[in-house]
Amino acid sequence: MRAGAYSGQVTDGPLIVQSDKTLLLEVDHPDASACRAAIAPFAELERSPEHVHTYRVTPLALWNARAAGHDAEQVVDALVRYSRYAVPHALLVDVAETMARYGRLTLATNPVHGLTLTSNDPAVLAEIRRNKKISPMLGADLDESTVVVHASERGRLKQALLKVGWPAEDLAGYVDGQAHDIELNQDGWTLRDYQRESVENFWAGGSGVVVLPCGAGKTLVGAAAMAEANATTLILVTNTVAGRQWKRELIARTSLTEEEIGEYSGERKEIRPVTIATYQVMTTRRKGEYRHLELFDARDWGLIIYDEVHLLPAPIFRLTADLQSRRRLGLTATLVREDGREGDVFSLIGPKRYDAPWRDIEAQGWIAPAECIEVRVSLTDDERMSYALAEPEERYKMCSTASSKRPVIRRLVEKHHGDQVLVIGAYLNQLEQLGADLDVPIIQGSTTNKEREKLYDLFRRGEIHTLVVSKVANFSIDLPEAAVAIQVSGTFGSRQEEAQRLGRILRPKADGRQAHFYTVVARDTLDVDYASHRQRFLAEQGYAYTIVDADRVG
Amino acid sequence: MSTSVSARPVASSYTEWLRVQEDDWLSELLRARPDVARPAPADVASLAGRLIGQVSISRALDQLDAGVLQVIEAMVLMPNPIAWTDVTSRLRGVPADALLHSVDRLTGLGLVWGDQDALHLIEGVRLLVNHPTGLGRPLAQLTGDPAADPRSLVESLPALAADERALVQRLAAGPPQGLLPDDWTSEDDPPGMISRLLQRRILVRVSDSTVELPREIGLAVRGAAPFGVPRLRPVPAAGQVEPATLDKLTAGAILGVLQNVEDLLAALDVDQAGVLRSGGIGVREHRRLARAAHVSEASAARLLEISLAAELIGIARDGEHWLPTRMLDVWLEQPLAERWATLAGAWLRTSRQPGLAGRRDSAGRTLAPLSPELIRHGAPATRRAVLSPLALTAPGTSWPADELLALVTWTAPRRGPEFASAARSVLEESRLLGILAADALTGPGRALLTGAGDLERTVATVLPPLIDYVLIQPDLSAVAPGPLQPELSRSLALVADVESSGGATVFRLSDASLRRSLDAGWSAQDLHSFFARHSRTPVPQTLTYLIDDIARRHGGLRVGTASTYLRSDDETLIAQVTADRRLTDFGLRLLAPGVLISTAEPDEVLQALRSAGYAPAAESAGGMVFSGLAQRQRAPGRRTSPPPRHTELTAQQRETVVRRMRTGDTATQAQRRTRAIPSIPGVTTATILESLQRALREGEGLWIGYVNADGQASQRLVEPISLTGGFLRAYDHRREEPRTFAVHRITSVAPADD
Repeated sequence: MRAGAYSGQVTDGPLIVQSDKTLLLEVDHPDASACRAAIAPFAELERSPEHVHTYRVTPLALWNARAAGHDAEQVVDALVRYSRYAVPHALLVDVAETMARYGRLTLATNPVHGLTLTSNDPAVLAEIRRNKKISPMLGADLDESTVVVHASERGRLKQALLKVGWPAEDLAGYVDGQAHDIELNQDGWTLRDYQRESVENFWAGGSGVVVLPCGAGKTLVGAAAMAEANATTLILVTNTVAGRQWKRELIARTSLTEEEIGEYSGERKEIRPVTIATYQVMTTRRKGEYRHLELFDARDWGLIIYDEVHLLPAPIFRLTADLQSRRRLGLTATLVREDGREGDVFSLIGPKRYDAPWRDIEAQGWIAPAECIEVRVSLTDDERMSYALAEPEERYKMCSTASSKRPVIRRLVEKHHGDQVLVIGAYLNQLEQLGADLDVPIIQGSTTNKEREKLYDLFRRGEIHTLVVSKVANFSIDLPEAAVAIQVSGTFGSRQEEAQRLGRILRPKADGRQAHFYTVVARDTLDVDYASHRQRFLAEQGYAYTIVDADRVG
Repeated sequence: MSTSVSARPVASSYTEWLRVQEDDWLSELLRARPDVARPAPADVASLAGRLIGQVSISRALDQLDAGVLQVIEAMVLMPNPIAWTDVTSRLRGVPADALLHSVDRLTGLGLVWGDQDALHLIEGVRLLVNHPTGLGRPLAQLTGDPAADPRSLVESLPALAADERALVQRLAAGPPQGLLPDDWTSEDDPPGMISRLLQRRILVRVSDSTVELPREIGLAVRGAAPFGVPRLRPVPAAGQVEPATLDKLTAGAILGVLQNVEDLLAALDVDQAGVLRSGGIGVREHRRLARAAHVSEASAARLLEISLAAELIGIARDGEHWLPTRMLDVWLEQPLAERWATLAGAWLRTSRQPGLAGRRDSAGRTLAPLSPELIRHGAPATRRAVLSPLALTAPGTSWPADELLALVTWTAPRRGPEFASAARSVLEESRLLGILAADALTGPGRALLTGAGDLERTVATVLPPLIDYVLIQPDLSAVAPGPLQPELSRSLALVADVESSGGATVFRLSDASLRRSLDAGWSAQDLHSFFARHSRTPVPQTLTYLIDDIARRHGGLRVGTASTYLRSDDETLIAQVTADRRLTDFGLRLLAPGVLISTAEPDEVLQALRSAGYAPAAESAGGMVFSGLAQRQRAPGRRTSPPPRHTELTAQQRETVVRRMRTGDTATQAQRRTRAIPSIPGVTTATILESLQRALREGEGLWIGYVNADGQASQRLVEPISLTGGFLRAYDHRREEPRTFAVHRITSVAPADD
């Protein structure tokens, strides 16, 4: 009887399970894809370079798996079946224990008492009740296994429970919201398989996050979710331009008309059945108060979509805590948050519902193949000296904006003559200089939305071939024909910024051309260190960087 | 019934019975009870005296399994002489061969003597068994009221209420005592069940918190099975682990524990840990090491203890720091199999009990890992006791831990209360070391326990083959998908940082790590060819570029290795030393004007210079006159296993003892014939001690012959009160008061009614 628990077939499997809970998957192994399918539900893909992919089994990942209906036995079975060596016993025990913690507490709606927290284990509930942070959120005990929860605390309670390691399963359901007919207008196009799967998984799970690479059509996932909900929808986006892009896309791909979609931004305050608001306006404060919170209550929203959920600012998290009875869909290219608040995304927006490696989607032809090149520029002796003597806080700016970069940037632009080229940087002086060097327009923070739209439009139509842009163009700007990006400086070592910038050029090109992503860095300076940190995420997603010397370019 | 008992002539006393046994039988007795053989007894009479000593009897009882204990406990309930059929008839349900084995074992240990119609239980046993077969004391003894009548109580039993009956039945099954709730008083519970039972004396309160069921009631409830339910040997439900699976699990555990120990001790090497005043390692240091080795704190404690047992760590000469010993350097050079054998062997033998770390002592203080308080001399025996039943099973047999422990407990139930938790930690440690996996004894574990076969070869066969390559990836990680050859592993640890270890190792190549290898004397070309040779995947362009880029910048500052420098302001002297042929072996090289370097150690160079007639002075690092040579600190190793105390006697030793006793007997008997004294002062014969014990138990008066401190002999009529520590306390009828008599001065004993 007992033997059965251990006598999983002995294999030379593709998987190596490390005691630190990382899983190494040998990609070239014949069983690799079966193994990937088996472990994907409970392990986060951490890196997917060419030969060996690394997954990590984290508590969040295990709870995500539990939320998706997998049990510990399946997890252990997958590990044991595909593992080349013995799976550390402690790890298996830990997996079982961690998974058992999810769902020990459930949030449910009681017809008489409203929102309640129930546990099949009175000891857990007792522990929770004694917790100083949690007890104020709880009301009267109904019996030893059920306690009333203040309805307003649904989100904060889930956040707090996750922190103490007892994530609650939220079965309290959602309000339907005000019905509003939305249909996908699949005329001459259809949802891609992975888009359809994302929506199905999201809808089955209720709320949660869909992770897809930049350019993989996340907007359509949002649109399809709206069609599924058939209800009024609030869409939160990073900035106005991105918001307008959503609007254009929705008008083109759904039954929604211009009049049904409102923009709620610094410029306009329209509230319509589908309203697109920016993070910025939502977090604007006047006299210490958030002025625009009423938007959340302005309508009986049936669905809330968070675009670029990895950038969700802290105040929106706080607001989201109050919106737990509404369906929430998070969209992002990466769950990596530089501030480490992945746990809040899990408890407030919801578990991850869909994830696909970038390279897989590239292989399916949905995003353009890209070549990543780091160009190293030697500074002049003068520059090196002033860099060496600069104040620490000035050093990055000094090296990343070095004049020595200018000639090579020009050579790169010339090399790609005829392609649509974006030059992306972080420092205005540098951008202005480059704009003058190349004689092209610049888009930066102070450029008006009207001007931006105009320039983007010219670029899209191919009337301008080159644009110099600041970080306002990091997100959600759809420039389908952009094929070359040259990044000249950035926000220090931000990994997600790198991914976003690459995302600008990943839209599949009409002629299937390859995209080129250049990073110009100053040799022997902080620039190199930050660049290699920035590259971590994409390198781990399977993008191979090549390093070349500046004098080899052109 | 054993023929070995009945075949011998009828003996009238214990000493006599021992004397008529064969030499071989006596030799076996000495093997089973080695404590009575040291120092060798002068004759059989003194052997008998030792055999009935309470301490020795207690040791003998500790060896008995639950089945044999049930038999001897049953005999405790019966007066001597005991007819064997009386025992067997009341132990129905125990197989005949188990009963036979029991009586053989008991007579073989000298706890029971005589033949099957008249067996005698050594009196001392009766005093040592608290609740024979789980029965309480007789009513009269419990209440202190000789007139108490158990019969009426027994007759009242059928009238008990259901809850009362349930309680009585539970206590009747044994143990017969029950604990009252902490705050229980009879006033609290006047109409309650316990009060009612106490009032009717069906329960007797024996202390504030304890009640006991009188023996007569227990017997009445047990009815046809007066000695309780047969305690049969438990048979664990065996499973079967496939050999390949077992080997895989074993390899995983072995590689894991070796890696963990290496990581743990590397962390200790970098940053030594302070020694607590109590001798152990502090909580904070303990946590730091656990984190460094990516193990739980409990595992870290066990690994540290195992390292200490293997003498891989010790206390520095200053007495204030824990650090690796020189043994660690040796150990790290050994092949994996040998490393494991060192650890596992040390663990099996150590008299420390790692599982105690983190527990609290009786004063509530937490026991620190590595502290002397973790020493338990019984620890090696506990390990063997727990694991040896598995060594008798077929390879791959798995026994659930609980069932294994049940069997181990049955084998020797009298072991102390610490045993259960000690046994559990033995299992934990065995799993950690790869001695147990999936509840089965592993190949290496079996070889370790039985000592059969070549241990290291057995270990080597389960370990996966070593690999000689890595997979280098564009994100500058290098993955070794299996255990690496030690040499390659060391090189990689230099050129890259370990990111994750286990079955595979993940290395990260970075500017810093590549620079480190250049610092260590590798050239860019060395690095290129190293990666080209050992990478199974194409070397990524980024790595090639990085190596060249770093190498280009490397060496703006030059750092070399030299063990010794020589400096002087006198250039002529420097020139002279450089040219001196007697010093050519030291590879002196002019580094800069006035500075020579050598690869030899400073003390060697000093000595050579002096013997060549120069007058050098040694310098410290600061240029001061030298105070001592810098050396990597190493703790002296320390033995943790003191020689075991009661080692077994060899057959030859036992034979010698038996022969000496026989000679002694002859001499004593010769003396007896010439002197008419029944016994000699100074020799406490078994008979005297036993008579005293019996008189005490039966409450009988005795005539004793006594020699006082002045050498005056007398005959006294006494009523024994107690017998402890070699002294008899008894009421002396002549003095009409209680007196204390030294047992060794009692020369003879006779019942008072004779």
